[in-house]
Amino acid sequence: MNARVEISSQTDVGEPLITCIELGHVYDSGRGRTTALGSVSLTIGRGEFVCVLGPSGCGKTTLLNILAGFVLPAKGVVRVGGHAINGPSSERGVVFQDYSLFPWLTARANVEFGLRMAGRAARERVKIAHDLLGLVDLPDVGEKYPFELSGGMKQRVAIARALATRPSLLLMDEPFAALDAMTRGSLQAKLVEIHRQEQPTILFVTHNIAEALVLASRLIVMSPNPGRIVEDISVDLPRPRRRTAPRFNELYEHVSRAIGLETAE
Amino acid sequence: MAFGVSRHSVAGMIGTFAFFAAWEALSRSGLVNNVMLPAPSTIVQSAWALIVTGELPSHLGASLLRATIGFLSGSVLGVALGVVMARLPLLHGTINPLVQMFRAVPSLAFVPLAIFWFGIGEMSKIVLIAWGVFFPVWVNTYIGVRDVSPLLGRAAASLGARGWRNFAYVVIPGALPFIIAGLRVSLSVALVVLVAAELAGAAFGVGYLIQMSQQVFRVDQMFVGLIVLGAMGFAADLLFERAVRRLLPWYGAEQAGQNVPQIERASGRRITK
Repeated sequence: MNARVEISSQTDVGEPLITCIELGHVYDSGRGRTTALGSVSLTIGRGEFVCVLGPSGCGKTTLLNILAGFVLPAKGVVRVGGHAINGPSSERGVVFQDYSLFPWLTARANVEFGLRMAGRAARERVKIAHDLLGLVDLPDVGEKYPFELSGGMKQRVAIARALATRPSLLLMDEPFAALDAMTRGSLQAKLVEIHRQEQPTILFVTHNIAEALVLASRLIVMSPNPGRIVEDISVDLPRPRRRTAPRFNELYEHVSRAIGLETAE
Repeated sequence: MAFGVSRHSVAGMIGTFAFFAAWEALSRSGLVNNVMLPAPSTIVQSAWALIVTGELPSHLGASLLRATIGFLSGSVLGVALGVVMARLPLLHGTINPLVQMFRAVPSLAFVPLAIFWFGIGEMSKIVLIAWGVFFPVWVNTYIGVRDVSPLLGRAAASLGARGWRNFAYVVIPGALPFIIAGLRVSLSVALVVLVAAELAGAAFGVGYLIQMSQQVFRVDQMFVGLIVLGAMGFAADLLFERAVRRLLPWYGAEQAGQNVPQIERASGRRITK
């Protein structure tokens, strides 16, 4: 068994993996109601690498939380792999901004966690964890605890952990936002490579335009009050992507204007 | 600095030595009654005499046994009730006022009642120690289980952890730093209650040794008892720290980041390296 993430294929090939129809969500807080999501309709196909970009309050994290099953939408329909979502599931892996590795488990045990929950045999777990730690270029840290790892290493372990149960969808909530620029760059390159090799469907939330343009095959731009999609762009840049390419800058300017920024950040 | 010994530890040794030398000189000088303040050398001789007759080991054994049984039973009950109350809000609502009420009463105040109910035998000591140990363990376990990181809960849920697996693999380990802090406080509580119970009425034990020595004017033996109790507390804390560091290597390092409540520790020592 290798570490390849299989695209589950029990449904029709033509059907998109994710379907959202007029998805809406409202948060009640002490100061009143906030419309986190207005009426969002969206389909995402298998194997797409989608970046959801927007300023804070645009509903991008709410959208991710709904897809993860952490939040039940107030209205609308959301289906993943042809099924309605009724809670978190190992079918949908999540990578969080603040790593969220279990501090009491070693890196290897963190990666094995989902497999352990699924009742998989120990030998199989060890093999998969070993392969995945190799995939994220951390073959030798298996026995280390999270506190012994740098931020970038923790996030690599978190990615490996999310991939271990072979989810059909990988949800990433600003996973590189807390990292320094150099580490972020190398993790972006790694993620692009993982996507090319394993072809998982990825929904990646970020507020960093350059990051979205480096990563995504498709870019969804959102805007707040109420949270909605304002642009849906197919990113046709050839890989590997160079931030200095004229087309890259063109898209950068275009997206900046779409989210209401006058100049580059 | 020479021989790899730091200046502070040299100063500490000099200070300690000076203290005992002055004490020795004072009680030999005739300025004070050396029955009331026996010299350190006399105390060492008395200790040796108590050891060779087997008297001190039997008192120590009795005290250790009570402390251990009381600590273990109080801890088990504290963890169990803390966990159950954190997981069942209705149960918490029902019995929380009662537990808070009992917690407010200093556990030493129950010593006479416990002796009245359970006699001067082992039962009263064990019940009293378990009672004192229960509350810090219960409070910490309750808080630890209730406030388990929602982020880690989400991470676990998205990895398929549900029901008892989530409880065993995420909730309990997540609460462990709090539980350990509670156990550590309880270790010193156990010692305090032990001595109080033994002073109030017992036929054996280090507290009883101190009590009896007072009645026969053996101040030197009282000092032996005090030293033994100090050593017990120190050793218990040290063993606890070693055990935690060995069994949970991640604990000390995570402490800084996890906002473990800085509950008063049994000693000034920290687990953090």
